[in-house]
Amino acid sequence: MRSKDGKNNNMTDKFILKKDHLVSFLRRLKKEYHLVAPVKNIQGDTMFTLVDSVDEVEFDLVNQAVTSIKPFLFPQQETLFTYETSANGDYRFDSVCNSQPTVYFGVHSCDLSAVLYMDVTFSLTARDPYYLEKRKNAVLISVGCNEPSENCFCNAAKTGPFLEYGFDLQLTDLGNRFFVDVGRATGQEIVSKWQHFFAPAEEEDVKLQYQTYLEARGKFTRQVHMDQAIKRLKSGKVPESIWSELSLRCQDCSGCAYICPTCTCFSISDRKLSEHEGERLRSWDACTFSGFTRMAGDHNPVDHRTQAIRQRFLHKMLYDVQKHNRPSCIGCGRCVGICFGGVDIIRFIDLVTN
Amino acid sequence: MIHTINQNIYLPRPAIIKELIVENSQIKTFDLSFVDEEYNKTFTYAPGQFMMVSIPHCGEAPISFSSTPSRPGTLSLSVRKAGTLTNAMHELTEGAFIGLRGPYGTPFSMDALKGKNLLFVAGGIGLAPLRSVINYCMDNEKDFREITILYGSRLPSDLAFTADLDLWQKRPDTTCLLTVDQAEPGWNGHTGVVTTLFDKITVDPSSTVALVCGPPLMIRFVLAELSRMGIQDEDIITTLERHMKCGVGICRHCHMDNKLVCVDGPVFNRAELRNLEVAELLT
Amino acid sequence: MTGLATTFGSGAMTNSINEIEQAEVIIVSGSNTTEAHPQVARRIFDALDNGAKLIVIDPRRTLLAEFAHIHLDIKGGTDIPLLNGMMRVILDENLVDDLFIEMRTENYHALRDMLFRLDLNKIADITGVALEKISAAAQLYARAQKAVICYCLGITQHVCGTGNVETIANLAMMAGHVEKEFTGVDPLRGQNNVQGACDMGALPGVFPSYQAVNNPEHREKFERAWGVELSPVPGLTLMHMTHGGPKSPVRGMFIMGENPVLSEPKANKVDQTLKELEFLAVSDIFLSETAQLAHVVFPAASFAEKTGTFTNSERRVQMVRQAIPPIGSCRPDCEIIMSISERLGYPMDYESTAEIMEEIALLAPTYGGMHHDRLESSWGLQWPCWDREHPGTPFLHKYYFSRGLGQFIPTTHQSPGELPDDDYPLVLNTGMVYHQYRTATMTRNSVTLNRECNEAVLEVNPQDAASYNIRTDDMVKLSSRRGSITLKAQVTEQVGAGSVYTTFHFTEAPINELTVDTKDPKSKCPEFKVCAVKMEKITT
Repeated sequence: MRSKDGKNNNMTDKFILKKDHLVSFLRRLKKEYHLVAPVKNIQGDTMFTLVDSVDEVEFDLVNQAVTSIKPFLFPQQETLFTYETSANGDYRFDSVCNSQPTVYFGVHSCDLSAVLYMDVTFSLTARDPYYLEKRKNAVLISVGCNEPSENCFCNAAKTGPFLEYGFDLQLTDLGNRFFVDVGRATGQEIVSKWQHFFAPAEEEDVKLQYQTYLEARGKFTRQVHMDQAIKRLKSGKVPESIWSELSLRCQDCSGCAYICPTCTCFSISDRKLSEHEGERLRSWDACTFSGFTRMAGDHNPVDHRTQAIRQRFLHKMLYDVQKHNRPSCIGCGRCVGICFGGVDIIRFIDLVTN
Repeated sequence: MIHTINQNIYLPRPAIIKELIVENSQIKTFDLSFVDEEYNKTFTYAPGQFMMVSIPHCGEAPISFSSTPSRPGTLSLSVRKAGTLTNAMHELTEGAFIGLRGPYGTPFSMDALKGKNLLFVAGGIGLAPLRSVINYCMDNEKDFREITILYGSRLPSDLAFTADLDLWQKRPDTTCLLTVDQAEPGWNGHTGVVTTLFDKITVDPSSTVALVCGPPLMIRFVLAELSRMGIQDEDIITTLERHMKCGVGICRHCHMDNKLVCVDGPVFNRAELRNLEVAELLT
Repeated sequence: MTGLATTFGSGAMTNSINEIEQAEVIIVSGSNTTEAHPQVARRIFDALDNGAKLIVIDPRRTLLAEFAHIHLDIKGGTDIPLLNGMMRVILDENLVDDLFIEMRTENYHALRDMLFRLDLNKIADITGVALEKISAAAQLYARAQKAVICYCLGITQHVCGTGNVETIANLAMMAGHVEKEFTGVDPLRGQNNVQGACDMGALPGVFPSYQAVNNPEHREKFERAWGVELSPVPGLTLMHMTHGGPKSPVRGMFIMGENPVLSEPKANKVDQTLKELEFLAVSDIFLSETAQLAHVVFPAASFAEKTGTFTNSERRVQMVRQAIPPIGSCRPDCEIIMSISERLGYPMDYESTAEIMEEIALLAPTYGGMHHDRLESSWGLQWPCWDREHPGTPFLHKYYFSRGLGQFIPTTHQSPGELPDDDYPLVLNTGMVYHQYRTATMTRNSVTLNRECNEAVLEVNPQDAASYNIRTDDMVKLSSRRGSITLKAQVTEQVGAGSVYTTFHFTEAPINELTVDTKDPKSKCPEFKVCAVKMEKITT
């Protein structure tokens, strides 16, 4: 995004989009893509929403959306295929996989980082066609966070408040205008195709953007020592007692996993539609459920009371570090707000580092 | 859009039950072939791997191969009645259709077994994946040294794969000992848990690789016993059973600390399991 | 409900749920809060993190009891003596809030006289709780500045349910723990919108907003509004209707969203009663066990397919908005009612649920200011909300009780309707698990929830397990004088010796075929929480 002195050497990928032109730009985009954007609903909650009309919704690029864009790329429930058995017992399958080119607009840095993580999950050991099809059709226009929310700690997770890569376009709010970083090829295509919306950024804009970025970094209220926690976990110096302490307060609701932008555990089950027809569904699941690992015949190799929570936190903060060299907690803080028992990742990090 | 089967890892292929062998009251062996004849010709697998098996309305479950790829054209899965899917499988008859996808999982490294004495220790349905290895070894007998098979079940009537056991017991180069936890009338053989058979064999720990599969408790005791006999951790190999949904390392149902049994296993040597919280090894 | 109505004048939670997190001392009685009211449990955890002290009164070692500073593990059905004992301690230790009693309550002397006659040692015997623990709990509660008592069906579903609640109210008033923020008495409702159903007069003797049917003034108001003549006689209670048997005067029934075949005590009698009806109509979102007995079933819309309001435990009226059109042929409840009403010759032509809400505001004073346009853009309003300008009421009884002065009602121990004896030596208690809801009509359709818990297990104390030679996963036959069921045992210290516990979710183990139909004489609430049973191991 920038060199160390804050100056930019390559001005061809830096643009300005005036705020006055945002809606008309989105209207343009919507002619060629589905548009998913953070929209404030009647209760004042910001939700990523498939936008019908750009004139009838209130876009909210500042507040964190209640959920990330995970449900669009990896729906809570999706039909993998339908099946049919015929009179002779033949058992046939028809794949279902629909996806439309979609622009995800106004994605915060942390949520975009989560998509990059999911890209790995769904392609590393096997290529998941359902996710990858949607992902292939996804254009990501992110927005840097000038004002982190109360529970945010993307600074500690190194997934924000601004990004270096991963986006097609990244916007920075500079008051009456957006600074636009061009990332991947589709971003470049969009800027070229609708170039009348984009003016080249001036040296002043670049400086102001850097200033904005520095200021945002100073605005985090939560002190979360993620690096230190990872170091402790790697060294194996974490007392076993923290697992039972955390487990006791976990009520198995799986809210943390469902709201987490990087949690992608799933289950597959059949739904009978008639004697000879049905569909195979994939739905979100969570490693904190006791049934998640229970085998036929009721044997459970994972002690639910302590090991389930252990798996959830170590997967994020240790196993992924060992495997991919970075944790899969993106510091969005959503689990802090959702847990009934306060068994969130910040409490975990605090317990590990204290 | 519609994917072709090759692109969609989740899409099972229809297969037909050619032959059905009742092993005991709980276990049946299904000899299968894909409906697509062309695919049958190219399909390959390795001992220790598993297939995801589908039954209409019952979902899927992972089942290990009990047949060996050294006998082309055979694809057998041996299934113990345990849950919804396996119970439904037991209702099926020859000629019925099921869905199959796979093969999945890290197999036994057959190359690493070459030139070794092999000690197989199995309990109950645990003989199924080892049967695949044993028959592979018999088909390639020049590659391996002495083969010892110790097999235990709860009751004499629970002993599965009796046809194979008979063959193995008749081979001069093979020792095959059986035991049951509880004798029944007519049983003249050994009684006691499978580890009690260790007294009856001699093992050279430096040239022996042990392959173990069975119920969790059996695995725990056998692994401990093998270590006590001086066999190196790398030469003690087991295969684990877990709940699975995808079979390809994404859904995470089969997590075991930082491993996923479906891709990192199901075959593990004891060295790999040393620092993990493995249900089978916890006391 | 009846107990709080007679003492305070209103039967609802006196606080808001989020006030709980600011309390210094929390008493949780007869509530498995983490399983049944996780949102309330969440505030209790927050309060604990803020340093609050927790007292749990429960015969079972619930999850919350693990966090309790004092767990009063009473014998089932001995709440009154325990609470009376606590009050006696408060009296002896001079911790009575005399000013509050003087200014705000009446009939205190009767209570005090009763307390002076108590023998604390005897109370320790009856309840099975050591005197030291009772004393410590009483002092902790009375000395706090901000103290809350939460209770649930473990208090009300007893033959002495009303007495239990009155005793809780006595305790709170005696310590002056009622009229303030972060301080009060909070019944937790067993089901979503039970509060709303009660508020709307789904009780035998009242119109909406608890206006009595036998009060001519109230009745006349509704007669004018609806243009019909209304009966001054209170209706039948649920138990009268469902347990009437062949002699019941009820010939037809319309049941909405309830599954009494599983949920009511002595369930085989319910089954019999419903089967003998001349006509049974059921409206539900799934074909429940009760719906399977019906002559006509109306497919009802789920919460996501309709617009209207729900009222929760803290008297908060919240809107739900239609998210998707009703699937298939199902219709919102109000449409079902309106169509039936029309065919019965009384057309109701409400354009929308908003119009129905307008009528509620007109006729139910506590809902006077509740209109959809006000509820739509907020997180709801808490009644009483008298008019459009009224901001709603987070906590009740500020300055004065709803009935004027709070009334002390001295109450003494009443044994459960059925006690264990030689033939049926164990006490059966019932409850819920987190992953299933009520009779599981809805939750069993979720693959994931059902996977988490799909069968009833009988919790058995290790001592009893040893003497019956029962191990976890053994099948047992559990019988009472009314019936028997078969289920799997689980040996756990969560239940005390001499008690067994299970859930009432599952049709395969319909526990309410065992429970008694004795009920509290005032509230008519059945005694689900105590009955005598025997247990036999099934050998295969």
